[in-house]
Formats: sequence, structure tokens, C-alpha cells
Amino acid sequence: MLLARVEGNVVATRKHPSFEGWRFVICQPINNAGEPEGVPQIAIDGHGAGMHQRVIISSDGGAARAMVGDSQSPARWFVMGVVDEKEPGVPV
Amino acid sequence: MKLGTVIGRVILSVTVPKLEGARWLIVSPFTREHFQHGSETPPGMSKDPSLVVYDNLGGDLGQTIGYIEGREAAQPFETPPPIDAINAALVDDIFYNPFNK
Repeated sequence: MLLARVEGNVVATRKHPSFEGWRFVICQPINNAGEPEGVPQIAIDGHGAGMHQRVIISSDGGAARAMVGDSQSPARWFVMGVVDEKEPGVPV
Repeated sequence: MKLGTVIGRVILSVTVPKLEGARWLIVSPFTREHFQHGSETPPGMSKDPSLVVYDNLGGDLGQTIGYIEGREAAQPFETPPPIDAINAALVDDIFYNPFNK
């Protein structure tokens, strides 16, 4: 699981059928100070994470498949939760 | 899923029987800088090493695709083939708005 910041979204018409109706958000992993770290990941979002919100993304494929409801889905990264507060505090 | 630009294709003459006739793309992964360009991605290669991705969506040269790496890449098949990266989406548009403190 990674702490990340939502920095946009991706639109794709042609995709694996299991992704139909799901939102793809661009998640930039961040460090403890809130600075970008590494390459952005595209995660499926079922929580409606907003622009520049901090989220936790998980790479659990099993959970992602259960989420999209297709046991043959290649889904991997998904938004696990939206961060409300983090300690030690860093401004959002 | 990660994004990347298709910079080439591979054709295999001898392959695992399960993967005969499969389509393979050579993909150069996006770095943070690439995202800034949105859908008009310059065909330039990134510093990160490129990889070969299994494709059943019909991605072609110069297109931006979303690929999934890892064990999950073999999930769409009845019996898992020996692949570890699959093309999962042909990207139409990227809306990117980097966060500045």
C-alpha cells in the first residue's frame, strides 16, 4: 500500500471489460513530507477521490478482482481509502 | 496500471503453444514528466527501461496504453500463460494537474 496524491484521471474507451464503469485516477506516490516519489500509478477508484486529495492505494489483485466483480480481471492497483488526517500532520 | 507509449512490436516464431499468434508491444513507460503532456505525448523514450507487453486490445505504434504488471496480467486467461505484463486500456485522454505546494 502506498500513500499517494490524486493528480488527475485517465479516459479509455477500449479497455478490459471488467473496467467498464470504473474511474481511472492518476495517483502520485508521496513521501512523509508530501513530496512526489516515483512514477505515478493509475488506480481504479470506487470512492470518488477528488483532485489533489491524499489516498492510500493498494496493489492487492485479489481484492481488486472482488471489487470489480470479475475473477478474470487483470485489475491490480485500486484506491483503498481517502486520507482524512495523517500524523505527524502535513498540510493537504 | 502504468501508462506507456508503444514504441514497437515483437513477433515470435517459436513460442509457448498457449501464446501462439499473440500480439506483443514494446512499451516505453511514462515518467512523471510525460504526464504533463497529456494526450499529446512526444514520442520520446523515457529513461526507464522499456518492456514487452502482451496485447489483445490492438494497441499500435505511437499510442499511449495502460498496462498492468505482475501476476494479475495472467488473470484474464482460463489457464495462466507465462506473461507478466498485459495491455489493459488504450488511453484516449489524460487529465493531469500536478500538485504544487
